[in-house]
Amino acid sequence: MTIEVERADFIGVPVQDLKRADEFYGKTLGLRRNQNSGERWVEYELGNVTLALVSPEAMGPDFEARGHQMPIALRVPDVEEARRKLEAEGVEFLHETIDSGVCHIANFADPDGNTLQLHRRYAPYRDGSLP
Amino acid sequence: MRVEQVDFVSVPTRDSARAVAWYRDVLGLPVSEFTEGEVETPNVTLSFWNPEADGEPFQPNAAGIALRVEDVAAAVEEVRANGAEVIGIHDSGVCHMGFVKDPDGNVLILHRRYKPRG
Repeated sequence: MTIEVERADFIGVPVQDLKRADEFYGKTLGLRRNQNSGERWVEYELGNVTLALVSPEAMGPDFEARGHQMPIALRVPDVEEARRKLEAEGVEFLHETIDSGVCHIANFADPDGNTLQLHRRYAPYRDGSLP
Repeated sequence: MRVEQVDFVSVPTRDSARAVAWYRDVLGLPVSEFTEGEVETPNVTLSFWNPEADGEPFQPNAAGIALRVEDVAAAVEEVRANGAEVIGIHDSGVCHMGFVKDPDGNVLILHRRYKPRG
């Protein structure tokens, strides 16, 4: 027996300093804050899924944000162009941009060490469609 | 810069085949038609990645991916019956959150908001 999953409601992103993270996701990445956001809990809408900043404000003072290592792949029109803009804002990338053979990938970290990824698939899927 | 959407979320694992089977059999998520080692939620792809295969240390994800279900308590019991570790159910005041772990120790949140937004 399996459960029925209707959708992914949010991806939790652990942060120690909520204000600093809010600044990074809102201003540096230019994501849209949604109406659920308040003093303790902040959410960003990315079109298909929500990112939720999980902080000591929500989880209690003992919460320790250990940056996650699972890249969240953010689709951008052009990886190199987006990378240049973020580098101009002081964001450091973890490696040279990778061409996987089907997509471009560039990983970076938020101020808490959570891995994020600029991503664009350029090769068609097996059914011929493109992202 | 303009972010169009989230293409996938990588989920760390020590055994990609085991992870795919668990997400398919316990959570009922379909396996990707296009890419090996991926399952699809209705709105975003989960892509399993073995960091140790790339020479990086494995660290389970603690912050959670929230999956919408109709009835959190019932879903938690089904997942428990399939042998998964259950951390507990939390009522946030606006939603129910059932915290469970996948076989690699990644936290998943079986989630349902009950309070209207706004």
